[in-house]
Amino acid sequence: MKRLFFLGLLVLSVFLTTISCSEEQDFGQFDDLSITPTVASSIFYLESDEAFINSVNTTNVFYSQVFNFDAFTEQFVAERLLEGTISYEFENTTSKRLNIVIEFLDEGGNVLDVETFDIDSLPTLFSREVAYGSTGKSLDILINTSNLRVTASNLSDTISVSSSSEPKITMGSAAEFLFRLK
Amino acid sequence: MRLGKPLLYITFFWVASLCSQNKQLLYDFHEIPQSLMVNPGVKTMENWHTGIPFISGLAFQAGTSGVTVNDLFANDGIDFTNKVQERVLDAMTKGDDISTTSQIEGFNVGFRGRNRPNDYYSFGIYGETDIIVYWPEDLAILAFEGNGGANIGRSFDLGHLNVRGEMVNVFHFGVNRKVSNTLTVGARAKLYSSIFEFKSTKNSGTFSTTEGLDNIYANTIVADMELQTSGVEGILDILEEDTSTTQKDLASLFAKRVLLGGNLGLGFDAGFTYKLNPQTTITGSVLDVGFIYHSKDIKNYTLNGSATNEGIEVVLPEDIINLGLDLWQDLIDEIEESVPFDDNDDGFISLRPIKAYGSIRYDFGLREASNKDCGCGVNAGGSSQYEEMYRNSVGGQLYFIKRPRGIQAALTGFYQKKLGRTLSLKTTYTVDKYSLSNIGLGLNLQAGPINFYILGDNLLSYQNIADTHYASLQFGFNIISWNDN
Repeated sequence: MKRLFFLGLLVLSVFLTTISCSEEQDFGQFDDLSITPTVASSIFYLESDEAFINSVNTTNVFYSQVFNFDAFTEQFVAERLLEGTISYEFENTTSKRLNIVIEFLDEGGNVLDVETFDIDSLPTLFSREVAYGSTGKSLDILINTSNLRVTASNLSDTISVSSSSEPKITMGSAAEFLFRLK
Repeated sequence: MRLGKPLLYITFFWVASLCSQNKQLLYDFHEIPQSLMVNPGVKTMENWHTGIPFISGLAFQAGTSGVTVNDLFANDGIDFTNKVQERVLDAMTKGDDISTTSQIEGFNVGFRGRNRPNDYYSFGIYGETDIIVYWPEDLAILAFEGNGGANIGRSFDLGHLNVRGEMVNVFHFGVNRKVSNTLTVGARAKLYSSIFEFKSTKNSGTFSTTEGLDNIYANTIVADMELQTSGVEGILDILEEDTSTTQKDLASLFAKRVLLGGNLGLGFDAGFTYKLNPQTTITGSVLDVGFIYHSKDIKNYTLNGSATNEGIEVVLPEDIINLGLDLWQDLIDEIEESVPFDDNDDGFISLRPIKAYGSIRYDFGLREASNKDCGCGVNAGGSSQYEEMYRNSVGGQLYFIKRPRGIQAALTGFYQKKLGRTLSLKTTYTVDKYSLSNIGLGLNLQAGPINFYILGDNLLSYQNIADTHYASLQFGFNIISWNDN
């Protein structure tokens, strides 16, 4: 009984050791794996009709707001952000010349960066891409941004009316960033 | 510590690539008592048998329909990220799977009825681990490439997440009856004692980034996803305690669940062997028709709902009243409310992975007539005593298994050779989704009452085991009595 048991084990061992082999493997290669997805998302959208712009006649600023915006300061994002762009798109069908300012603020309210957009009164469609990272502005701006201040001003009068059917100003913005997950 | 990482990878790929459960070498290899476990209606000739506890039946199967260890980790100087991109992301689809099945018999005993010599009873216990992970194609691409760039407009299918795993202990009792000289039937009742189970197999939904209605992009998620677990929380709780009694507590928990202290279920196997003529035999069996009802130590996770996000939106003059509000937090709250991630402890039923075999065998090559030690006494009469007089068998087998994504099939051709009473060899060629060049070899050695068998699959792949899509090994020891002693 015992002899057969060991005979069986011997057969098994011989079987495995004689026929099986393997090419050299290097499991350390896993450390070289690079995972860098591109993440895209809209950030902020502002829309105002001409009637509202005309209604604010005490000051030329018809909209000003500070938004809490912690997307970039989240530790997971801040540690892995490599580079990217923020895109802005504007369409103005009002009769007004407008100015929109976006300020990037840190937790203490300090201004880290400013994007200023002057928008003509003619029916206007334009966009701007701002790069961050190795070929653009410093990533530190984004990583430390905790709030966004958006200020929209009317640089024209408050009487004129556009001939467009639904005159309004729209501002869209979106981010497309490269992250290093590994 | 240096050994830790390679060991982890080897373990992962070994465990992850164990697969398919097909035991084509064991099937209808009736000289081996464990063939009763894949066809309760197989021809039995012994008077009684007993497996040597814990080494009577050890089965490990390995395979992957997609990438192999060698594809990724061969020391070939190619950039690892490129290999992952070309051999995994670009090559594997949601239909590819990596899975594991292993079985260890606690004990296996069989005996012929004293008053009913045509009946052969068998019972025992075995443990089984079965894990299958389908390649989550779209989710992997989303993780590697993201939703931006070229993937704007692409719809990522959340249903690609499909995973199921369980560890179960099985108590079984079977009856094998020789109905006539041409027909043998059998059935086996099973009592399942679940140790743990997790499954996430009925997911649906999409995630996409498209041009927004108002803003530049719109991220849309529609999700109906669920992960059901039983027995997992208890194990994790013990592991997280990080006390000196962790090992003891785990052993105690496993012992309790192995011995019917966990979630229970019922099932059965059935099978037959029918001789069309003295040289031609057909067989069939169906295994693990059963279920487990999970009501203890349940934790289920769900993600249900739909949401579209175009960022913070301010439309004037309507939103002028929202000045001063935390619009960013409102946006997050709105998404979480629309697509809530919840958990519950609702019980659930899981069906066992049903398997079915079928075969046709042609025996030929008469040898010297001898009934000595053949066990034919129990089958005396009719033509059955000539069954063992054929030295060779050739035939084909079919195998099916119900998997979360449908039925997987395998086709096997085999040749079996008996060399006297002591040695039987079986070789197989199997085609399935894992391999088109699977050649297996089985050996059954009978030395007096001692029986030893070893069955190895996909032998060609052993030349470079790291490059195999499929490999399996089964072996065990039994004591068999052919007579009344």
